[in-house]
Amino acid sequence: MTPTWQMSGRNSESWCSMTAYGLLIDYEYCTGCQVCEVTCKEEHEYPVGKWGIRVFEDGPWQIEEHRFNFNKIPVPTDLCDLCLARTSIGREPICVHHCLANVMNYGPVEELAKKLNNKSKQVLWVPQFKPYEARGPFVHDPAKGRRKAAHLEVTKNESAERMAAQRGDNRVEEI
Amino acid sequence: MKTKATPAIKLDSLAEVNDLGKPWRYEEDGLTVTRSSIWTPPGCHPVGCGLKLYVDKSGRLVRVEGDENHPVTQGRLCPRCIAMKDYVYNPSRVKRPLKRDPKDRGQADKWVECSWEEALDLIEKEYKRITGQYGRESMIIFVGTGREGGTLLPYATMSFCTPNFCYSQSGYACYTPRLAACAYITGIPYPELDYAAGLPGRYDDPQYEVPEVIMLWGKEPLPSNPDGFFGHAVTDLMKRGARLISVDPRVTWLSAHADYHLRLRPGTDTALGLAMIDTIIKEELYDKDFVEYWCYGFEALAERAATMPAERAAEICGIDANYIKAAARMYANAKPAGILWGLAVDQKKNGMQNGQVIVDLMAITGNIDRPGGQVVGDINSGLNEGGFGFDKGIGPELGAKMIGIKEYPGYCNLILNAQADLALVALETDKPYPVRMGMYTGNNLMACTSGEPRRWHDAILRSLEFCIGVDCFITPSIQASCDVFLPLATVVERDGCLFAEYGAAPLYFGACNKAIDPDGTKSDLQIAFELGKRLNPHMWEDYNDVYDFINDLRLGKKFTFDELHKEVTLQQDISYFKYERGDLRRDGGLGFNTPSGRIELYCGAYAQFGDDPLPYYEEPPFSPVSTPELMADYPFVLTTGARTYAFFHSEHRQIPYLRELNPDPIVEVNPDVALRLGIADGQWCEVYNMFGSAVLKAKITQAVDKNTIHAQHGWWFPELNPNDVEKDGPYHTFRSNINNLNPNGYQGKIGFGAPYKCMICNIKPVEKSYDTNMADVWAKFGKLV
Repeated sequence: MTPTWQMSGRNSESWCSMTAYGLLIDYEYCTGCQVCEVTCKEEHEYPVGKWGIRVFEDGPWQIEEHRFNFNKIPVPTDLCDLCLARTSIGREPICVHHCLANVMNYGPVEELAKKLNNKSKQVLWVPQFKPYEARGPFVHDPAKGRRKAAHLEVTKNESAERMAAQRGDNRVEEI
Repeated sequence: MKTKATPAIKLDSLAEVNDLGKPWRYEEDGLTVTRSSIWTPPGCHPVGCGLKLYVDKSGRLVRVEGDENHPVTQGRLCPRCIAMKDYVYNPSRVKRPLKRDPKDRGQADKWVECSWEEALDLIEKEYKRITGQYGRESMIIFVGTGREGGTLLPYATMSFCTPNFCYSQSGYACYTPRLAACAYITGIPYPELDYAAGLPGRYDDPQYEVPEVIMLWGKEPLPSNPDGFFGHAVTDLMKRGARLISVDPRVTWLSAHADYHLRLRPGTDTALGLAMIDTIIKEELYDKDFVEYWCYGFEALAERAATMPAERAAEICGIDANYIKAAARMYANAKPAGILWGLAVDQKKNGMQNGQVIVDLMAITGNIDRPGGQVVGDINSGLNEGGFGFDKGIGPELGAKMIGIKEYPGYCNLILNAQADLALVALETDKPYPVRMGMYTGNNLMACTSGEPRRWHDAILRSLEFCIGVDCFITPSIQASCDVFLPLATVVERDGCLFAEYGAAPLYFGACNKAIDPDGTKSDLQIAFELGKRLNPHMWEDYNDVYDFINDLRLGKKFTFDELHKEVTLQQDISYFKYERGDLRRDGGLGFNTPSGRIELYCGAYAQFGDDPLPYYEEPPFSPVSTPELMADYPFVLTTGARTYAFFHSEHRQIPYLRELNPDPIVEVNPDVALRLGIADGQWCEVYNMFGSAVLKAKITQAVDKNTIHAQHGWWFPELNPNDVEKDGPYHTFRSNINNLNPNGYQGKIGFGAPYKCMICNIKPVEKSYDTNMADVWAKFGKLV
């Protein structure tokens, strides 16, 4: 079975031709309930200390009298696979399903990008599951670095010996 | 009455491949899926969120998902039900009855497993011995919120036949003071913000109007889903144009998104409410027709409100007078406008008056029983349950012995509960009579609800010869004081029913459908039934099994569980302007179910129970104004108990995925205060006053102002020492219990209301770290059984 990170990998040959999917989040109404965090952990059985998505909180800090900045923004991590097991059968990712404020949408980036135009305070994420692994195993390109070392004779360098002798310390014999 | 579930409205985010239209039970990929409208345990308010429970061939619950067929939750779910499996299969859950010699109370290793038969035999023997010697009133049942048993009056009226059913929080400072205010002023159980929960078309239903303004008063509905209100209905309505006014000392996400945030000093709400009424009346913004035809005592209210102009309230509350007036204008000018009023209303000695000003605001603006205003039930709606079994099981003679009924008739008769503060005195002094037997159901008073928990601990150990605990886990209260433990089934292991908001508003009701075998555990209704059949069989003659009891108690025989369970959730019929048709009064007359037939702005019932018929402001018993001499030692106002998404009160601390969201008890400190006192972010601090102290972990935040400290409640540490050690109590619960600082005996005149959200305190950093080791929590509770 192909590991999921390879199927969604950005380095795969087909990345440019395949449809990219993402999460569009209307953070004007994200309340920070953290259900995306917990449901992702249940779905993927991530242990304590590992997460597929996190909610970051900016605020409350005061802008002026009676007015505070207080935004909550969910950010997919390097363990977000956009619920491949669910989305491959046509369902939405589990965080989208459970989002209490109903502020998450899943779909092709191209479609979501159009929705970005409709209102302010939105963010569009295009997550990458295990981005380092997704680049694939290291494979040397035989087309590169083909210059071979030249087969030439090298002679003893007497001037280097003289340089050592000219040094002023008394341990010169050890060099 | 609807008998068929209406199809839910699909959320735009839900994919085309979904489970809309699926029956109550179906097969999918080798799993059996049961749809359920769930309520407790795990503890929660009765929202009845829709769940799909996936069970494998071996009968194990392997997956939980939000049910998109639910008319209100529409597939959405909060973290606590997402972690349902971790609760059901938690390694610390106890699924067999236990017994322990009373001399070994507090010692975790002295519990002995026994059969149900043996446990019930023991209870029967002790019940007969103790009530034979001291009378049936010598038994007290400690109840609480969020569990079926926590509001299951028949435990008292039918199983044990004792008058002393007791919610053990000082002044019953939760929900019931608001119910009392409504009942006395309007004759309506609870006017909830109308969020179209009962309407088939929901927000787009032709009957509905989106409120122009929602005023949130002492309520954070998003994490708490208070009293059964689906909290995120507020964000649904914000997206549809509703604007907010927030009355809250703290900056919350909602208050930061409000047009007006009235950031008052904790406990001063009634002054603010009077000033808003005064502004609305003086500027003639009230609904003149509604006031003239449907309210009583308007002139008296106007006169009273005039004693609290915005300028005076400004000084008391610490808010600019013009800002108060502007918020009052916005609320009064909006049509419709709804108020979401919360727990903070109850958590002050002045709570009944706080409730009064809020109901008066709803009334004079004509928003009661109006679409998008406050939705109310008709005379036939609501539960069948008020007083269920009381007359037959207890009767007038024994009922007259209820603790506090003479001193606080307005409290005891309304909710049929022993008055909490006087129950504590009875446990301490044997006055008015000895209390010798006890039971906890949906109550963990030593970790959660009760002020001065050590005082309750000592009183219970002193007084009770025998005590029963009913729960899913061994709580600190059970560990400290019980002699027999009965293991409770979770909501996925039993059948049952739930009414959103306890049926106090007409919304919807549903079936909790059993998905897995209870594995030796039993539901509260089953336990009540079995105990009752043994102890007072004359009360249970009509019931052959627990379903007969459910059909009578919950469904009033209008419906059977068999009919309901396949529908899963049924919306209730909603109608508006019922006072114009005579649907709010038992006699069928027009108007309201009060002595005058109108909404009593001048309220005779308040006067009858020894209080002022008109709202008035009273300072909290401890405050910068009422106790200036104490402010040098305790310079901060202490407010407690803001809700989190991770926990329901004292529950869920043993669920690693939830605990991880909030590993330690948090105290919120303003950045300026932290700098001045040398408190670093994340540093442990001692919070203290003349009643006691607790250590909590500082979060430096502008959520609180320079005069205010906020502390979380309900803490215990299931991963730590379970034994009742002198200083810290079982599971170290007394170490970080903020209720150490909250007193008993400062309730309001009718007996309701207590200062849990408006005390005073000081704070200092400590050197020691008590940080939770999440690796330890994961190691102990992460591997499910």
